Amino acid sequence: MRSESRSLLVAALCIVGASWSCQLDTDRPAARPVIHYSLSEATRATSPEGEPLVPLDVQANVAGSLEMLFGTPAHPQFMLLDEWKESGFDLNWPQYPKGDQGSGEFSESDLASLATDNARYFRTPLMHIEAGEYERVAIHSWSPDLQRAWAALLAETAPELRNDEFKAKAKALFVDYYPTLASSAELYRQHCLHCHGPEGGGDGPTARFLNPLPRDYRQGTFKFTAVGKGTPRRADLFRILDEGVTGTAMPSFRRFSKAQLNGLVDYVRLLSMRGMVERSLVATFAEEEALTSGDVVAAYSDVWSKWEKAAEKLLVFEGEVPHPTPESIARGRELFLDAKSANCFSCHGPEGRGNGASAFVTDPQSGEVKPAYKDDWGHDIIPRNLRYGIFRGGRRPIDLFRRIKNGIAGTPMPEAPSSLTADDIWALVHYVGTLSERPQLVHAPAHDAHDSHSTPETHGSEPAKH
Amino acid sequence: MRLLFSLMLLAVPILGVWTFLKADEWHTWFPQNVSSFGGEIDGLFNLILYMVAFTFVVTEVCLAWFVFKYSAKRSDKGAFTHGSHKLEMIWTAIPAVALLFIAFSQMETWAKIKFQKNFPKDGAYSVEHPIAEVWASQFDWRFRYPGDDGVLGTVDDLETSFEFVVPVDTDVVFKLRSRDVIHSFFVPEFRLKQDALPGHTIPVWFRATKTGVYDLVCAELCGWGHYKMAGSVRVVSAEEFKTRMAALKAEWFSNGKEEGQ
Ligand code: HEC
Ligand code: HEC
Ligand SMILES: [Cu+2]
Repeated sequence: MRSESRSLLVAALCIVGASWSCQLDTDRPAARPVIHYSLSEATRATSPEGEPLVPLDVQANVAGSLEMLFGTPAHPQFMLLDEWKESGFDLNWPQYPKGDQGSGEFSESDLASLATDNARYFRTPLMHIEAGEYERVAIHSWSPDLQRAWAALLAETAPELRNDEFKAKAKALFVDYYPTLASSAELYRQHCLHCHGPEGGGDGPTARFLNPLPRDYRQGTFKFTAVGKGTPRRADLFRILDEGVTGTAMPSFRRFSKAQLNGLVDYVRLLSMRGMVERSLVATFAEEEALTSGDVVAAYSDVWSKWEKAAEKLLVFEGEVPHPTPESIARGRELFLDAKSANCFSCHGPEGRGNGASAFVTDPQSGEVKPAYKDDWGHDIIPRNLRYGIFRGGRRPIDLFRRIKNGIAGTPMPEAPSSLTADDIWALVHYVGTLSERPQLVHAPAHDAHDSHSTPETHGSEPAKH
Repeated sequence: MRLLFSLMLLAVPILGVWTFLKADEWHTWFPQNVSSFGGEIDGLFNLILYMVAFTFVVTEVCLAWFVFKYSAKRSDKGAFTHGSHKLEMIWTAIPAVALLFIAFSQMETWAKIKFQKNFPKDGAYSVEHPIAEVWASQFDWRFRYPGDDGVLGTVDDLETSFEFVVPVDTDVVFKLRSRDVIHSFFVPEFRLKQDALPGHTIPVWFRATKTGVYDLVCAELCGWGHYKMAGSVRVVSAEEFKTRMAALKAEWFSNGKEEGQ
């Protein structure tokens, strides 16, 4: 009898336990920490005595101004300047795609392609709508605006009144979807924040495990653009999200819809502008010992004008992209190893292994070999080993052309000297491509071409061990 | 009590069979099959599944029945036995035969899919003229097409990432390579999985029978970013394949002018 009641007890406990653990799966909203934008470490820095370098009331002023200009993580939005209001220009969606006068006009065909892509991305909900199974439509939590709109649509029409007109409306909701800034902020929160941090400072919790570090957007410096050192175009940021940055932690987000990626671009732009305005306000204060509302508006419109003009610096090549030839590869090698012109080997090493003479320094005391360069964010950086064939900014010939011609913003990789012609840059592109892809092509012709010069091995000594 | 326990034991095979019967309806079974040899793979899977399921159900039913019949309260003490040579022979021989049967029945399919001598030869693509070179690397899929001259490794090669475009109803042969560690090319809808080994160039073939976009995933834990290696295979009509290759050529050799703002 006793053993029987014990087993009954065990069975009862199992059932209770199982039903409880099922409950855990229900959609009860988990407690979500509230996210704030904070000021950057630079703004909050203190003197050795512990005195804030920027007085606390000014810091509060800066924080308040930033909130006025860019909102909060829950309600991000661009403040509209008076002249924008007059001309009907609105940086905030949904007005932006049609009303944009700055960098990045969305043409009719762009909008059409967003719609086609939405149809792909939302194919499952659209299928359910087509079949009239409205209750099976599920929407990700990272599209709160769509969730709300969908719930409102369902609430508006009783199930028995859902006719074809309703069906068309329901479909349009998905096909024409473009996330609001707040929704993009939610997407960012779920997919980017753990690396890039709430303000885009590149300091999310995952960041400390990564090398290179996630981008800190707040300087407005982006590495892999088609515009050199300037602020990036929408297309540059879009490409990064679409392709990811090969060889680093930055993943490709192609799985999202184009509309969502564009929304993320909007949000990255907002964070970046916010960081730039913050820096500019702190700099103004350091100069003038005061901050007025005029300064705030001036900083804001100044930063916006930088972003607006991004497309002006677009680097294109007039003409057809040339194919590599043995001659161009040999010419590229010559330039690569020429200390008086391109001088690539001084950083990348005579064989492109990223171990040029200037890339590392030896600590006189410990004898330790350390990277010699720092990037704009203050972190150690080493020239790329070009033999791996991993090009973060893209592998197309034009990508490498842009990288070599413009250099890489925020890193020691310099612009090509202006004495180099476009043909020279192409020669370098061909040589760099050959280093990883077809090394057999490098050596044969290049050695002959180089007989009269000093051999490359005499340039730049190899650092200790590599 | 004994009834309760034997019913609980009986519930296991019943639930198992029921979820199997419902699986299609719940979309928890296999994704659709869109490759020419996928049916054979599924056939093999089903063969093994039915053999195992039969054994499973029989064992479970026996178990439930024994729990019911021989509960401690109702029967006398159990008889002691030293085992039975005959019984052991039987339960060794039957699985051995079953395993041999499985081994022999899959040989033909395996040879057809994986042996190079059985690769398609007569179509547009062959081991000598693959449609593309597929590079796996931490953590990308890259596809290099031979370009206009049809020869890989020349200056007009075209590259693209994450999306492998192939024509429908065509025997497609590609070369699988890895830039760094072991990855695995896996397309569930094709029932095709092949490891990519650094230093090896491994020919692979398939024939997709339906246009569409199918998931391509890395099926070998290859590092922290393993999850990032999610690409797709886009199966398109022959004409669309041509237009897509032309578009890829324009994109790859772009001079940067016709790009978005
Ligand atoms: C696993 C970490 C990780 C996640 C998640 C991540 N990133 Fe990144 N991201 C990086 C790293 C690392 C870099 C820097 C790469 C480099 O410096 O070469 C980067 C760079 C960038 C850049 C700058 C590229 C350039 O040209 O300078 C942008 C923009 C960006 N990420 C946006 C995003 C967005 C938007 C998301 C979310 C959808 C996201 N990232 C998610 C790690 C991450
Ligand atoms: C002052 C040192 C320096 C010089 C000189 C230099 N580079 Fe670099 N280069 C770098 C650094 C540092 C990086 C890595 C940047 C990064 O990690 O984001 C780099 C990266 C690259 C890349 C990789 C780009 C990508 O998309 O990932 C290429 C290609 C390259 N350099 C080519 C050249 C060529 C060609 C020259 C000569 C014209 C040259 N570099 C001169 C420092 C230099
Ligand atoms: Cu992998």
